[in-house]
Amino acid sequence: MLTKRQNLMETIKGGKPDRFVKQYEFMNLILEAPMGAMVGPGQTIKNGWGITFTWPEGQLGGFPIHDAAHKVLKDITEWRKYVKAPAVETSDEAWAPAVAHANAVDRNEEFVTAFVAPGIFEMTHHLMGMEDALMALYEEPEDMHDLIDYLVDYELAYAKVMVDHIHPDAIFHHDDWGSQRSSFVSPEMFEEFFVPAYKKIYGFYKDNGVELIVHHSDSYAANLVPAMIEMGIDIWQGVMTTNNVPELIKKYGKQISFMGDIDSGVIDFAGWTPEIVAEYTEKACKQCGKLYFIPGASHGLNFGCYPGVYESNDEAIDKMSKEMF
Amino acid sequence: MSKIDEVKAKVEAGKSKLVPGLVQEALDAGNTPQDILDAMVASMGVIGEKFSTGEIFVPEMLVAAKAMSKGVDVLKPHLAGDGSSKLGTCIIGTVEGDLHDIGKNLVSLMIESAGFDIVDLGVDVPAEKFIEAIKENTNVKIVACSGLLTSTMPAMRKTVAAINASGLTGFKVIVGGAPVTPEFAAEIGADGFALDAGTAAVKAKELAAA
Repeated sequence: MLTKRQNLMETIKGGKPDRFVKQYEFMNLILEAPMGAMVGPGQTIKNGWGITFTWPEGQLGGFPIHDAAHKVLKDITEWRKYVKAPAVETSDEAWAPAVAHANAVDRNEEFVTAFVAPGIFEMTHHLMGMEDALMALYEEPEDMHDLIDYLVDYELAYAKVMVDHIHPDAIFHHDDWGSQRSSFVSPEMFEEFFVPAYKKIYGFYKDNGVELIVHHSDSYAANLVPAMIEMGIDIWQGVMTTNNVPELIKKYGKQISFMGDIDSGVIDFAGWTPEIVAEYTEKACKQCGKLYFIPGASHGLNFGCYPGVYESNDEAIDKMSKEMF
Repeated sequence: MSKIDEVKAKVEAGKSKLVPGLVQEALDAGNTPQDILDAMVASMGVIGEKFSTGEIFVPEMLVAAKAMSKGVDVLKPHLAGDGSSKLGTCIIGTVEGDLHDIGKNLVSLMIESAGFDIVDLGVDVPAEKFIEAIKENTNVKIVACSGLLTSTMPAMRKTVAAINASGLTGFKVIVGGAPVTPEFAAEIGADGFALDAGTAAVKAKELAAA
């Protein structure tokens, strides 16, 4: 039987996998890496950039607050005055738990995977609010380019420290690029502002030992797949059914693989049952096939919002592997 | 190109710095404020259609709406009446338990551009607050409930049921958001459903006129 890592590579290279990849099993996520303050359930925090996040009890995630009292950047032309990157944590002491975890991973079996969030597009709207960020792309493109360059420089500074400490084989990178039905910006605007940024970022990782770039965007983004290929993404995780995943696999499978086709909204909710999970998993596996495709929920990271869903999804995928391989 | 056609073209192109001057020129050329306003509303209708078909995206919609808003600022002193909209008032909010606002904000923008006065209740809005807003505002024609999460669909059901049971009349309820379907909208007793911001404005006008 192939190792999880080998099976993943056979799947994405169009070789001979011996089973479906089970969601995130190939990624051993090093979540101990220092990433700055992140909001948890029931909390309201201000992070190192000065952005205030809140996660009310009962919600599925946190949100930045953008009222007048909390918005960090109210006028893009003044970004240099208000946007100050936090210091990158470099101390060996802070990185020790992540290093210990990474060193304990059998790299024949799994990819040592660093998690990076938020992404560059998300940072612009965390700082400014979504409407201001999107309008600024039109109204003040030079300042937006400069802000994006600043954000990229910060991520590269963090990336260098991270690579030096844990030598990741893979990066799992978060940046939502659309709603369920459309990308937030046009492919042309995306090409102008965000492709150069990510070519630098993903290029750095690939030049420094990273074999696999897995990008999360639980959205529609079919119109951005050529750009994803151009920036060096190997796997698009979070691909929702609105993208017509079988068509994407047919068109782009040899250049990029797709992880998802099971929308979290239909399996990961209070009234979920194993039968519901099995039904959507079977549909995804049968319509997407065995190559260039990893079945799994569109939600990011290796857990569900409701207890038991992720594990049930794994069981359903095992069943499809027995049936289809 | 007539002055009004220039205004329309620049609203569609999102040229918010040019539109105020062009609106003034259109007034100076003898066009009525209402005709100019109707032209800008028609531009936003085109924007809504293009957004629904995927020809344009959120930034284009936002800058067009901003351009129209700058044009309306020039027209306001010239428009007859008390400034309230002919089409009525739309109360809008994201239902209780849901903090997503961008979809609701886009719908709000498009419905306002179509000619309604908007009362935006924000996010995480309990049913009682929708009902209070209907009572406190005049000429309410549309109540719009938004929800992005499957887990907040019960709250949408509860909100629509509460509004329908309130005894208040004279308006229609529309619902929308990623997990919402026409079947769900009908099941919970909403009067209408809209797939996106573009079609929401069309639906609001249709329901308000019915």
